[in-house]
Amino acid sequence: MADVEVVDPKKCLEESCKPKCVKPLLEYQACVKRIQDDESGHKHCTGQYFDYWQCVDKCVGPKLFAELK
Amino acid sequence: MVGGGVIQQILRRKLHSQSVATPVLSWFSSKKAHVDAGSSGVRAFALLGAGVTGLLSFSTVASADEAEHGLACPDYPWPHDGILSSYDHASIRRGHQVYQQVCASCHSMSLISYRDLVGVAYTEEEAKAMAAEIEVVDGPNDEGEMFTRPGKLSDRLPQPYANESAARFANGGAYPPDLSLITKARHNGQNYVFALLTGYRDPPAGISIREGLHYNPYFPGGAIAMPKMLNDEAVEYEDGVPATEAQMGKDVVSFLSWAAEPEMEERKLMGFKWIFLLSLALLQAAYYRRLKWSVLKSRKLVLDVVN
Repeated sequence: MADVEVVDPKKCLEESCKPKCVKPLLEYQACVKRIQDDESGHKHCTGQYFDYWQCVDKCVGPKLFAELK
Repeated sequence: MVGGGVIQQILRRKLHSQSVATPVLSWFSSKKAHVDAGSSGVRAFALLGAGVTGLLSFSTVASADEAEHGLACPDYPWPHDGILSSYDHASIRRGHQVYQQVCASCHSMSLISYRDLVGVAYTEEEAKAMAAEIEVVDGPNDEGEMFTRPGKLSDRLPQPYANESAARFANGGAYPPDLSLITKARHNGQNYVFALLTGYRDPPAGISIREGLHYNPYFPGGAIAMPKMLNDEAVEYEDGVPATEAQMGKDVVSFLSWAAEPEMEERKLMGFKWIFLLSLALLQAAYYRRLKWSVLKSRKLVLDVVN
């Protein structure tokens, strides 16, 4: 029984929800690129990161428990 | 016209104390002194002055960092959410196993006793056996000494640390909170705890977390002392359910929800029963009131002139 590779359904669903949340993901990636050369250490992409993960969470939330016992 | 001037005066005095743009404001008011336009013009000027000052004072306020509040957790469809839904007791049993094997090394649950688990997650024999595995300090005995004995059903779940200071010392200054009421002690507790436990991710670009802390977007501030504890197959469930991170998260939160609200099932039954009965009583009372008042409500008053 332990031979079967267990896959975490949450990670799986988060991957499948990525296409739905392309827009905030691209925003985040654009932000990362923008602050790449920042030396001050004050710039960060928390806002875009939150927007992306909020979108993914909204997508995953209703579906996750159906995959669990 | 005069009224408009007075309003401008009041506004100027009030805004002077708050505003940083006082020279701008005095320019406005001095300009106004020369203009003796109609009252509508003066009023418009007063509003413009107030608006500009308001705008300028807002720009000096720093915008709140969204990491401060933490990422808002989504709502998960818990099986015990409905108006007449009970706990998934198999999930509570698995959740207790997760707590015992993963969380109990740092988190106490000092309000739960072994006897509370009987009939909820374990049989009496199982609970007795579990209790007997721990050592409890008891006493004093007839010789006045404290002694240790195996646990009984009436004993509380064991505490990992003797006191808060010991807990903080062992965890880099951070106190792992007691979990007995945690789902009631946090806003949107059940969803928050699940999101937190399963939400450990790499920090966003530009955020670095110091040594000893870990990034978790759901935690207010983003830097939590607890490392990621739920990893796939960290626990082997007795009932053979695959112990993925999400499964363990769901089970442990079910257990914690029960621990915080053991009365939930009885409460829902009672609530449903009494709301139903009281609605019937309401209908009866409404009928009775209208019955008694019908005498007055169906009165006929005749105004007759006597000559």
